[in-house]
Amino acid sequence: MSNIEVTITVNGTKHRLMVGPKERLLDTLRERLHLTGTKEGCGVGECGACTVILDGEAVHSCLILTAQADGSEVITVEGLEKEGQLHPLQEAFIKHHAVQCGFCTPGMLMSAKALIDKNPNPTREEIKTAIEGNLCRCTGYEQIIEAIESATRALESR
Amino acid sequence: MFSTVNKPAERVDAYEKVTGRAKYGADLQFAGMLYGKVLRAKHPSARIKSINVEKARAIPGVWAVMTAQDVFCNEIGVIIQDQQVLAKERIYYIGDGVAMVAAESLEIAAKALEAIEVEYEEIEGIFDPIVSKESDPIHPERASNEVVHHKLRKGNVDEGFAGSDVIIEREYETQFVEHSYIEPEAVVAVPHENGSLVTIYGSVQNVFATRDAVARCLKADLSKVRVVQNHIGGSFGGKDEVVSAMACRAALLALKTDRPVKMVNTREESILESYKRHPYKMKYKVGATKDGKLMAMEIEAIADGGAYACQTPFVTWRSVVQATGPYEVPNVKTDTYGYYTNNVYTGAMRGYGSPQVIFANESLMDEMAQELGITPLEIRLKNILKNGSMTASGQKLDRHEVSLAEVMKKAAEAIGYEEKYREYSKPQRGDKRRGIGMAISFRGCSLGAEAVDGAGTVLSIQKDGSVYLYSGLAENGQGLKTAFCQIAAEELGIEMKHITFLEANTLISPDSGSTVASRSTLVGGNSVMRAAENAKRALSRFLAEEFGLPSSDLVFKENWIYTPDGKKLISFAEAANKAFWAGVQLSHVGWYVAPSIHWDEEEGRGNPYFTYVYGCQIAEVEVDMGTGEVTVLNMAAAHDVGRAINPEMLKGQIYGGVMMGLGYGIMEEVETDEGYIANTNFDEYIIPTSKDMPNIIPIIVENPDPDGPFGAKSIGEPTLELGAAAIANAIAQATGRRIRSLPLNLERVLLGHPLRKGRGKK
Amino acid sequence: MIDYEFFKAPSLKEALEFLGSHEGVKAIAGGTDLLVDIRKENARAKGFKYLLDISGLKELKFIEERNDCVAIGALSTHTMLVESPVINKHFPLLASAAKTIGSTQIRNRGTVGGNINNASPAADLLPPLIALKAHVKLRTLNGERKLPLDEFLAGPYRTNRQSDEIMTEVCVPLLGEGYFTNFQKIGRRKAMNIARLNLAVVLGIKDDTVFDPRIVPGAATAYPIRFGKTEEAISGKRIGDIDPAEIGERASEEMISATGVRWSTPYKRIALASLVKRALETIFREAKANE
Repeated sequence: MSNIEVTITVNGTKHRLMVGPKERLLDTLRERLHLTGTKEGCGVGECGACTVILDGEAVHSCLILTAQADGSEVITVEGLEKEGQLHPLQEAFIKHHAVQCGFCTPGMLMSAKALIDKNPNPTREEIKTAIEGNLCRCTGYEQIIEAIESATRALESR
Repeated sequence: MFSTVNKPAERVDAYEKVTGRAKYGADLQFAGMLYGKVLRAKHPSARIKSINVEKARAIPGVWAVMTAQDVFCNEIGVIIQDQQVLAKERIYYIGDGVAMVAAESLEIAAKALEAIEVEYEEIEGIFDPIVSKESDPIHPERASNEVVHHKLRKGNVDEGFAGSDVIIEREYETQFVEHSYIEPEAVVAVPHENGSLVTIYGSVQNVFATRDAVARCLKADLSKVRVVQNHIGGSFGGKDEVVSAMACRAALLALKTDRPVKMVNTREESILESYKRHPYKMKYKVGATKDGKLMAMEIEAIADGGAYACQTPFVTWRSVVQATGPYEVPNVKTDTYGYYTNNVYTGAMRGYGSPQVIFANESLMDEMAQELGITPLEIRLKNILKNGSMTASGQKLDRHEVSLAEVMKKAAEAIGYEEKYREYSKPQRGDKRRGIGMAISFRGCSLGAEAVDGAGTVLSIQKDGSVYLYSGLAENGQGLKTAFCQIAAEELGIEMKHITFLEANTLISPDSGSTVASRSTLVGGNSVMRAAENAKRALSRFLAEEFGLPSSDLVFKENWIYTPDGKKLISFAEAANKAFWAGVQLSHVGWYVAPSIHWDEEEGRGNPYFTYVYGCQIAEVEVDMGTGEVTVLNMAAAHDVGRAINPEMLKGQIYGGVMMGLGYGIMEEVETDEGYIANTNFDEYIIPTSKDMPNIIPIIVENPDPDGPFGAKSIGEPTLELGAAAIANAIAQATGRRIRSLPLNLERVLLGHPLRKGRGKK
Repeated sequence: MIDYEFFKAPSLKEALEFLGSHEGVKAIAGGTDLLVDIRKENARAKGFKYLLDISGLKELKFIEERNDCVAIGALSTHTMLVESPVINKHFPLLASAAKTIGSTQIRNRGTVGGNINNASPAADLLPPLIALKAHVKLRTLNGERKLPLDEFLAGPYRTNRQSDEIMTEVCVPLLGEGYFTNFQKIGRRKAMNIARLNLAVVLGIKDDTVFDPRIVPGAATAYPIRFGKTEEAISGKRIGDIDPAEIGERASEEMISATGVRWSTPYKRIALASLVKRALETIFREAKANE
């Protein structure tokens, strides 16, 4: 099986890599780029723990081959904080106790970011839809939704 | 009144978690690390005729291939040591490991597994605990398939039934449920690190239980095995025995290869192998007088223990204590049993033997109310435990506030129960029908008479006044680190930001048993208080001498230390510095052991727990009569927690527990067919999503307990145990049909009975 | 273990050339079904040597209104359907169906062509597209053919696509005056559901009389088909004379005559009847309101 050369930009940094035909974007991020914030919970696109933003849209990094993502731009949870300044979503997640075990948190944050990048004033229902593919077994979702609502208000008042 | 506790302090681990910096088991890397993988059984019940690993060993990049004969001690278990690290001769269930490999990559490891040749001889299995009762023992070394039988006896049920005007008998059944922590199990075993034979890092719920298992498996001293907990991606009771087995395997491979070995389960492996919540088959007989007073209850509950004993002996004990529900019943006869089968084994899961019996006893109360022509609220109010009541086990409740009436009243008011109950009792037309249902419980806090109930914390003040603490209990995501830091900050009168909580580590933390039974805040929190008190006492004595004070009864608050008459004496940081240079001991251990309790297993009575919590949840549902779809609209959840150490974290427990209860009630079920498991990933084993959320109304009730730190008791499990029962009662009101088996999924709600696909063999 | 070579197609032409010159090629677009099948080593995903990535073919990612139809590029995502003003205007049932597929992440990645070509009995787009009499266009190096979707489907997880063909677009004819549509779905929870049952109904009403009814349940039969007998039962009838509950029963009978009695039949018999009844009632209500 021959390897494929790809160029992907992750959190603003361009990487040129030779990847195998079976390597998933999730593997590339975690194993090669050591960005272990993106988690694997199911491997079949059901839990959302591996959610990243690919060219502006929330996607499962477990269901994308890195070879498919050649030329793409990827944002992971590690790309949220800018120069030591937490993203308003991160601040809101802390403040609203939207985190318990934390394993779903990175994916949850990416789904939330993809939503508010497109739709700065989402309704509660739109927030629920944006995170419907991010399973959380600890929080019952309520404080996550509250955090996202509050982050949109914080962004608006900026 | 308080400066740090009883306040919504931010979680101490939140920053690491929202930035992706928090390292979980699968995120760890060590130089020279190998990847371990396990070959699992093909059949749920079989004899292994032969295993040939030669081809696997010959694959380049494979460093070790091991089978049961390479294991020093192959049987582990917290209560009964009957769980195989790797199957030796006999396969007891579909998740048994047969062989394992360590290789340079996951891909090579997978190829090696494919190259292992195993010859099986299938043996007819037993997949029903009732069949198991009458069958030859599955485990040849045991006399029968009975894992355990607990009884509880009070009064004389024959007389009680004779004095009853109405007697009903009902049977209820519950299902296998998967914990569904989003992080699959993961450990790394590192050989010969810093004086230890082996160090285990990873997603371990109970570091001491895992340490004990690894040491036993390796035939090593406990002090030679170090288990260090990492951030853990959820557990809910689930990362105990299954992770211990994984840790044993990784340790064996690491010692064999002399290299670190990482093992991470895929979701499929996790669901196949990990233990589940017990399915119960329950028979209830209850008698009451015409005016609704309960006279007698006779209960038999049979738990499917699956292949290994695991926690079955204690899970069924909690059931026997709580099976009547929170009611005064003068005559009780309860028997709970656990039987071995060749199903996936069953163990601890949030609730621990309570969700099953609560589903039964709370359904039963509604059924009895209907027989008597009174409302569900009336039958409960007539019979609930109150201050001074005697429980079914004969314990007098006189040490704490028995707040059932209060939690019921608050939940009912918050959701508008009585009005809605009346409204939904009227005939409803159309496809969408509504119902409202309640469930209440009492729950013994902590381990009770299961085991010794002690916990320790070490608190060390540094010479700059900062503090670190470590405890024998462990963060599972619930917020233990934060709660413990709050308690320490409150007691030391300093800000939380000066306190660091270190991960649980068996070679430094005092062995405090397991982080289970909703005991951490109560038992562990008390140990934190004691550690802080000890530290304060030492500092106070030193300062009294230093400043020539008549009393060492100093006041610690707002980072300062005051004289008893309120004079500002010295800052905490400065005091710490002075004390350090004066040679004062600044590291202190706090040890707490729970008040004594007793249980007479022969007689089936006693004081099984030193205190209890009380809760009430009310569910309002809409049922689609044409499709069987259930929408849970509103849930009120009122819980007496003694004292909320952190009200926001506590609400998080309520929201999460309610949703887990909702999943248990209407959608979740591990589908087994003759021991095979059909739904091994989240595409088929479904849990609630954000769209399934009802409007949840959390209600925190605080009646401080004399034995709790600042009066605090428990919250983790009580929030989960009521939801399914409340929803079932609401569905019964909406549809006019009582369903006595869980989950109340599309088929059961529409047809009144489940449909079985008869699949799973692969 | 499934092994393969990966080839990323830079253009449709090169994709077709690759298909024309290689044996054992599997095309991957969004990958939301295929990569799961590969992981599970599902028989459906076995026996191929090359994985041809067509996900980058921008020319197949469009939704456009033409004279007599709406053309949906095969690589349009479910999210595009949900958000498209054209789809929402002409075929709201298609947007409704797309909304129920997977999760946001799946809808961002999964494609219309993928949903059709995977041909799952429970695919959410198949019933509405069949009910809308959609055609699919299949391209080879040498030419193009167009065939009705219901002829393209050959069975559960089976289609009549030839090994050298790529589906380029789906053409959905515009509905004339007087048409109404409805989509129904039952899942085991409120999101991320594989349909326990779904249903698309398209029909015309003129002078209170039903014409051109199309009733297509999904997850009811081996693969979605029109329920001709049920359609006949309402065709040409005045809506006041139609008992939606009875038509529901009829649809259930038609299902059972196609599938026989299976383990799930006791449930689906009642539930499908409910869905059909509900869809007809909704449409009749809308028709009344439109008068």
